[in-house]
Amino acid sequence: MALAIEKKAVSGWLERLLKLGEVIAPTRTPTGDVLFSNIRSGSDVAWNLPNPLHPPKEFVLPQTDPLVQIKRNGQHHEVEAIHDGRRRFLVNARSCDVKGIAFLTRMHEMEPADASYLRRSNNLTIISLACATPCPSGFCICTDSGPFLSDSYDVQLTDLDKSYLIEVGSAKGEAAVAEAQGLFRKASEDEVSQRKRLEETAKHHFGNETCHFASAMRRISTGRVPDILWEKMSDWCLECGGCNVICPTCYCFSVKDLGRDGVWVRCRLRDSCQYAAFTLEASGHNPRPEKKDRMKRRFFHKVSAQYYTRDGAVGCVGCGRCVQVCLGATHMPAVVAAIRKGSWHE
Amino acid sequence: MWGDRLRQPLLQRNGKQEPVSWDEALDCVAVRLKQLLAAGKPVGVLGSARATNEENYLAGKFARVGLGTNNLGFSYYSICAPLLAGVEEVCGTPAATLRLNDIASSQVILLIEGDLAETHPRAAGSVLQAVENGAHLITIGCRETQMARVASLHLQTAPGDEYEVIHELSAAVADLGQGRPSVSIRNDAGQQDLEQHFGSLACLQAAEWITRAERAAFLIPPTCGEENRQWKTAAAFTALAAITGHLNRPGSGVLPLLARSNARGACETAVVHNRLPGFERLDDSRSRQRLEDLWGKKLPSAPGWDAEMLLQSVSGLVVVADDPPSVMPIGQKAMTALGRLEFMVVLDAFATPTARIAHALLPISSFAETEGTFTNMEGRVQKLRPATNAPGEARPGWQVLAELCARFDAAASYDSAADVLREIGQAAPQYVGIEQRLAKAGWSGALLEDSAKQKLRIPPAETIAFASLRSAERPHLLALDPAFDWGSDPLVFFSPTLSRDFRSQRKAFPNGFVEIAQEDADELQVRSGRRVRLTSVQGAATVPALVRDDLNHGQLIVPFVFRDHVSNVLGSDSVTAVRIERA
Amino acid sequence: MNDVFLPDLACLTGLCDETPDTRTFRLRFRDSSKVKDFRFLPGQFIELSVFGYGEAPFCIASSPTRPEALETTVRRTGQLTDALHQLGEGNEVGVRGPFGNGFDVAAAEGKDLLFVAGGIGLPPLRSLIWNVLDERSRFGKVTILYGARTPADLVYKRELDEWGKRSDVEFRVTADSAQPGWSGAVGVVPTLFRKVDLRPKTSLAYVCGPPIMIKIVVQDLVALGFKEEAIISTLERMMQCGIGKCNHCAIGHRYVCRDGPVFSYGQIKELVD
Repeated sequence: MALAIEKKAVSGWLERLLKLGEVIAPTRTPTGDVLFSNIRSGSDVAWNLPNPLHPPKEFVLPQTDPLVQIKRNGQHHEVEAIHDGRRRFLVNARSCDVKGIAFLTRMHEMEPADASYLRRSNNLTIISLACATPCPSGFCICTDSGPFLSDSYDVQLTDLDKSYLIEVGSAKGEAAVAEAQGLFRKASEDEVSQRKRLEETAKHHFGNETCHFASAMRRISTGRVPDILWEKMSDWCLECGGCNVICPTCYCFSVKDLGRDGVWVRCRLRDSCQYAAFTLEASGHNPRPEKKDRMKRRFFHKVSAQYYTRDGAVGCVGCGRCVQVCLGATHMPAVVAAIRKGSWHE
Repeated sequence: MWGDRLRQPLLQRNGKQEPVSWDEALDCVAVRLKQLLAAGKPVGVLGSARATNEENYLAGKFARVGLGTNNLGFSYYSICAPLLAGVEEVCGTPAATLRLNDIASSQVILLIEGDLAETHPRAAGSVLQAVENGAHLITIGCRETQMARVASLHLQTAPGDEYEVIHELSAAVADLGQGRPSVSIRNDAGQQDLEQHFGSLACLQAAEWITRAERAAFLIPPTCGEENRQWKTAAAFTALAAITGHLNRPGSGVLPLLARSNARGACETAVVHNRLPGFERLDDSRSRQRLEDLWGKKLPSAPGWDAEMLLQSVSGLVVVADDPPSVMPIGQKAMTALGRLEFMVVLDAFATPTARIAHALLPISSFAETEGTFTNMEGRVQKLRPATNAPGEARPGWQVLAELCARFDAAASYDSAADVLREIGQAAPQYVGIEQRLAKAGWSGALLEDSAKQKLRIPPAETIAFASLRSAERPHLLALDPAFDWGSDPLVFFSPTLSRDFRSQRKAFPNGFVEIAQEDADELQVRSGRRVRLTSVQGAATVPALVRDDLNHGQLIVPFVFRDHVSNVLGSDSVTAVRIERA
Repeated sequence: MNDVFLPDLACLTGLCDETPDTRTFRLRFRDSSKVKDFRFLPGQFIELSVFGYGEAPFCIASSPTRPEALETTVRRTGQLTDALHQLGEGNEVGVRGPFGNGFDVAAAEGKDLLFVAGGIGLPPLRSLIWNVLDERSRFGKVTILYGARTPADLVYKRELDEWGKRSDVEFRVTADSAQPGWSGAVGVVPTLFRKVDLRPKTSLAYVCGPPIMIKIVVQDLVALGFKEEAIISTLERMMQCGIGKCNHCAIGHRYVCRDGPVFSYGQIKELVD
């Protein structure tokens, strides 16, 4: 049963949530950037901002994630897990980012489940806004992660001009709505139909571009992408690791104890599979010595059938951030297209 | 988590660095430096290409006004000075005449490189964009790099021979009836020696592309070879841009590829022994007058020692945010020189090797914890805003330097980094009004205005005797790769994920290595790891070989970080002819 | 869900130099209840923390049949192992684990077992060897073939003597090159094959050692009639988390820390990066 809320009542809802925990939304900084940051009052949320370049994975998988406090005590040590159980609400996220976090959660739920990650994700409720007008570089329709979602969300809003349609998709979503029961009403049939029409229109915005993932996936999964193609494409990659930073589904990391003089913090540090030393062994042997090996690895992890079968989803949410960030234009759509055509820049 | 960060002022006592209060540390620094001055002993100051403009400016003010000396420099200047001098010779200023954003819309790019993707990925990204849009990329270098592979034309050039290539291109331009060749080359026998490296067709093609293009980008980093050669190379390169009409045309120009975030800023705030803020000449009386009025004191008129000389000649030294041994070409000699100083005070955020032997160590904020500005190679002034607090008692560098200036009667009072920037605007003409412009700007900062159009000076036709370095006895060319060693820079060195690659390479080759082409390796019958002996007129050294498939026969390259292992062979030069044998 | 990065604390209770650069460390958990709870399979590994230096994966070299003698054998190769070698009796380290798939001991029941090890490849097999010898009646013929570059490089020298003396084990040792005082065989490990009665049809073969040795041994075993699924080895990769999440040890979609480190030769051939 869908609900609705008048737009002018939304800030009241957010005020209730602010009493329960942190509320995070895209905000425009004084320097003109759009970032996910904490808001202090319910009226602070601007709903018409471009999707921030940095995905919200920072709130479940920080760049530098303190895990364990270690203190030396004479001959012995004291170790204690660092718990982050803050309750948070992420507001005005987009469908792609909802799917991104759902993907990361699946990774960290897999045995053995990682308590540090799950403490954060279990305490994070996402109130997302479906995209009636898809963003210019996005291709979420190809990865089943937008522009509207039919699952994986806590609360999905649809902008109906004077009101929002509310779809609740989880227990966390129910709890968030229950906090401000008086502000919601049952959605009318018209409103529900309007939402469906908006979804159809949004899908059409993507045009007739066929999604190349299927054929790319076939070739990647059966080793039928010629080595020379990876070599050519890797000449365009600058190994900056930018793709790993901004990708909602990238989660590779290293574990290091940072500190000195008997006091350390064991941290998870996000890492990049594109860096030369990612697979470098203590003996000096490196199974992926060339850039082309690492590029091939990245796209195998994201697009292969083997991973799709394991994870239940392709490792891409079509958010288009890599298109914006990649210095060499070796981003997901370009590489997938090159694999389908069998050529690069020819 | 702050393992390698400096948190507290330290003074050296009984061979150990002990924590003290800020007052105690600053007092000690003032007392010791004043003692040296009173005894007539020379003192010096080193700024840094990784310090902010505010820090460098105050370091320079401290030296000139506080200590009364022009013994002032920054380590990276040793590397980039000849390049900038060459550009300045033609344009009247070493400033870039090309913006990074122009590169992407260039139709032709002439690139001298070591490995642009490695040294300047942002610029490389723009080059790739241009190539994707159909631009002709011409690369001049000794390696088959990424850029070389996507280039329309790769002119494989032995290190140090870039000058010859530019000459051939200029000659080709002349052949096309445009402009005039700037130099002619004669060898020792006095004959015109147009050694055809590539066949004149390639050069003609390149010349045609360059002269027909509306927008052409000329990119040049510090090259190999002794100072004079580098200077002439840069001058000839800039002259080529000039004679093909690309120096004063929008969207075209020359971009000197400087490494490190604030090399240009360090030049323009003039932590340089023979310059004044604005990078004005020391003997420019108008500039000197302006500064003496601004600072209220007469300034020393004679040039000081440059960075490498001053390190080895002074008794007292102030080092701001740098580790000279890892940046200067003299490498280990710099470390030895630092160890002989009577008194050294270091301001830094990181426990670098230099910091560890300081008599006084003053902890300052990193770039993420301070307000300040830096100027990139294209002249874009960008603002730093503190994102977090510095650890412990570390303070913003500009504040610490202002305090030191105050103790030497050399400061105005500064309430903020913006106050310092405003003063920079009064001291350096290019920075006039920069503070207001930045206050309104976003992250992309503000571009320095192109300097007033100066009359271009094409270097007169010269005969340059060049002796081919190679001989029958020494048929190989050993060159020091001038590319900046990021592995030694604190931001990489202290990052567990970013440093892994560098650390493992240094662990695997603790005695360094020399890069050798596959063909040469086959001839010598050596594999990677096998030691080889290199002998030049200067001396000999034995190092392991590392076989590469992107080098040409006869070319041997030593990465900058390993220069100490071949210093006997190279001497004071960075290219020399050698004999190579299995050790 | 667990705090999977939280180490247990253990102290070093026995240090034994195997070679000039290799030492066996015995570990005792500070929390005595952990001793009981730490159930592992031969072939599994631990992530060992040297506080102040970091964490690295090391195979468990002792058998689960002897839980009080939890051991790992470590060669000095870098900063962390150097630091580990500086530690002494009573010093404390961190332990996470056990990780990995381990050897399938049940599948070995009733079979003839051939162990082929080279140099530092013996430690991971030692955990299985002692498991087998401690439950000897479950298994068929046991043959152990071991070699190193020189006699000094052989590890577990006292145990080698023990195995040589046992009547329920056929044990052969060799060195690539001899040293004065060495009375054993000289030659690489594969030269031992013709000295023993191999039973390809009824055997499982466990092979561990330097990559080049494994390659040759596997080739020889296949030529001698061993099936690819019956030849079992261990793989090594750079690791960080040990639990299949950080992606450092991935080969294709397999993770050496979870799907391995034990793999059959048939599986190894299918692993494509």
